[in-house]
Amino acid sequence: MIRICCTSVGQKVLMALTGLALCGFLATHLSGNLLLFAGEEAFNTYAENLHSMGVLLKAAEVGLLATFLAHLGLAVSTTAMSRRARSRQYDEKESKQGVFALPGGGASNWMLLTGLGIGAFLVLHLVDLKFKMRPDLVYPTDGGAYATVNTVLSSPVSFAAYGVALILLGIHLSHGVRSALQSLGVSHSKWNKLIEIGSMLFAWAIALGFICVLGWVVLSS
Amino acid sequence: MSSELINLTLRVWRQSGPDSPGQFDNYQLNGVSTHMSFLEMLDVLNEQLIESGQESVAFDHDCREGICGTCSLMINGQAHGPDTATTTCQLHMRRFNDGDTVTIEPWRATAFPIVKDLVVDRSAFDRIISSGGYVSVNTGNAPDGNAIPVAGSQQEVAMDAAACIGCGACVAACKNASAMLFVSAKVSQLAILPQGQQERSERVVSMVSQMDDEGFGSCTNTSECEAACPAEISVSNIARLNREYLRASLCGRD
Ligand code: FES
Repeated sequence: MIRICCTSVGQKVLMALTGLALCGFLATHLSGNLLLFAGEEAFNTYAENLHSMGVLLKAAEVGLLATFLAHLGLAVSTTAMSRRARSRQYDEKESKQGVFALPGGGASNWMLLTGLGIGAFLVLHLVDLKFKMRPDLVYPTDGGAYATVNTVLSSPVSFAAYGVALILLGIHLSHGVRSALQSLGVSHSKWNKLIEIGSMLFAWAIALGFICVLGWVVLSS
Repeated sequence: MSSELINLTLRVWRQSGPDSPGQFDNYQLNGVSTHMSFLEMLDVLNEQLIESGQESVAFDHDCREGICGTCSLMINGQAHGPDTATTTCQLHMRRFNDGDTVTIEPWRATAFPIVKDLVVDRSAFDRIISSGGYVSVNTGNAPDGNAIPVAGSQQEVAMDAAACIGCGACVAACKNASAMLFVSAKVSQLAILPQGQQERSERVVSMVSQMDDEGFGSCTNTSECEAACPAEISVSNIARLNREYLRASLCGRD
């Protein structure tokens, strides 16, 4: 078991497990956010119920933070391993995989950068809505979570930052989900196409879901 | 088919020894027949160099028919050149146009140190194989061919994995210089067959640990290795390696 944490294969397995756990969180988070469409009352009740969970919620938050930090740490460790593995780069390097949607290859070549971008966004997101400490905003005193979300998202700075972060999230997940499954050994000639499409759909459903929430809040306020 | 003659500018990596810095040198090569293989073209270059009193370019080759995996060149940024499922020795000059500049580099990976010019030391692969890529059997009479039944579908999968010629193109093409495709093929070909069951767990664990010790990178699942592989080894072998490794770590005896 301990050996797993030290080898390249083991680290990728842990990376996959933490990544999928974070995907689970994203799905839960999004389903909560979708209640914004149901109106102020529904969303506020949900937020209050969530916060009334007390110690359970705290435990979940600590668990999430630990998962996130582990995912980040593993990313740094495996990237360092790979950097060491090629000390001199090629003068010319082409892919044999045809055309990519992104410059510089597929989403797989952007995992660290998109991940770090998402991490930076996470800090902003927590400052905005958990600690409510954005210096350029005046937080409402009543109206519950619904009013707070409206205040934060209607600032153009938030809109831009959240929008960019969500696109980064979509790109990150578009490789991450499929890759995590492969790292866990999920592969079968009969099902691979389905797994690939399913992973891609999940990735963009999450990202676009959040983008819809963002757009809705900004348009409706 | 009529032969055409083309003129090429070759940008070749020259390095006199493992510790020397190395640089690209340009050579003009005229009248290259498009019927030639890439290695024959290099032979012609070397003759030209020797005639003019210069040192020939060192490059690896042996069978020249795509089965030994010795040839290994990064041609215009692609392992074994632009074709898929093709080794450098099977690549023909008709893939190039008159006036082209062709960049030729060695495989670049910390685990494959350069010996000279385009020749790299791939003994890291041999050490991975000797760490577990075998089955231990008592020598004696050859066993009866059908003594151990193997399902046809299993034979196919094992045979596909066994097609790996160990050339190292997977490492060369991977942005992480990871050897996962090679190791996964070598683990798979035995893990699938009944003969490989005895040492199944120890094999995968020691081969992965040897792979890490040699300094190969980790796998980001970009599938660049599969695209570059002249033997068309599938990345589904990498998934199998991951499964085998998990199985050995969680359920195997220590
Ligand atoms: S020389 Fe044997 S595969 Fe190319």
